[in-house]
Amino acid sequence: MKPFEEQFTAWVDGKLTGAELAEFEKQLAEHPEAATEKEDALKLGKLLRAHPTAPALGNADFFNHQLMQRIAAETPKPVEKKSTFFWSLPRLAWAGAFCLVITFVLFETIIPGGAKHIDKSNYFAQVVESWPGNPNVSASTVYSADDNVTVVWLDGLDYIPATYALNK
Amino acid sequence: MRLWPAILLLLGLTGLLLGAEPDGVMKLSIPKDLKHPMPAQVDRIWSGVIVATNPENPKEPPTELREFAPRLKRVFGYTQFELAGSATEEINELTENWLVPSPIFPLSVRARRATSKEARGGYLLNLQLFQDKRPLVDSEVKLAPGSPLFIRGPQYGKGQIIIVLQIQH
Repeated sequence: MKPFEEQFTAWVDGKLTGAELAEFEKQLAEHPEAATEKEDALKLGKLLRAHPTAPALGNADFFNHQLMQRIAAETPKPVEKKSTFFWSLPRLAWAGAFCLVITFVLFETIIPGGAKHIDKSNYFAQVVESWPGNPNVSASTVYSADDNVTVVWLDGLDYIPATYALNK
Repeated sequence: MRLWPAILLLLGLTGLLLGAEPDGVMKLSIPKDLKHPMPAQVDRIWSGVIVATNPENPKEPPTELREFAPRLKRVFGYTQFELAGSATEEINELTENWLVPSPIFPLSVRARRATSKEARGGYLLNLQLFQDKRPLVDSEVKLAPGSPLFIRGPQYGKGQIIIVLQIQH
């Protein structure tokens, strides 16, 4: 609210006094309609006081009750969420299927050998231990999983010339 | 919907019922060997001495080695495989078995039936490979039937001696 309007309201209500009143009345010289407006405002105040707008209610509680009921009836009710458990049967089924797929993928990709290994590995030759008969000879085991070959690999054996007959 | 715990419980109970033995039933497990102390079919062990070389025009491997030749090529890097000699003996678990695929490379084999599942009725063998009368190597190996074991022997001329062993059902 502007200062003039505030002062005008205070002037209408008769709350301006002394120097403040004198100062404001000087300003009023520029507003010749101010006196008329003050009169109108005072008339309106008297009229309102003489005729109160709110009718007296005979049954105020009943009226309030009716009003609250109507408000309640017209207000849309929020949809009540059913409190169901997260692992419903369809979700459980989907989770199970997902786990099966993951298991299959892991079995095929990560686990060494996997299903392919089981399918083709009828081959079984396992060297438990080897002891060379000569300290100059070393014995190690070579296993090629791709070829299904197990070899006892001897190194340091004496060379045999091709002239030496293997079947004497 | 809270049916799933009931379904799981039902499945569990069904499993228990199916897995349970009827009351009063005693299950006897008799080892197969006790049922048939004398095996109907005698297993054999085959051994061969192979000469692997790299000639300019490699020959086809003999029938006995056709099964192994591609694998041997990849593992040993030779192109030609010849069988210098071979020997087959019936496996006797009570005594030492001698295999002489070549008089130069005799093999002593002691065999016991392997109990492990992966051996599939094969044998646990104690092998002793000789060159003439000198022991080259002692080995303890588990062999399933049809699964050959190779021993890389000495260099021979421009090639390599390979000894092979295989259990035959």
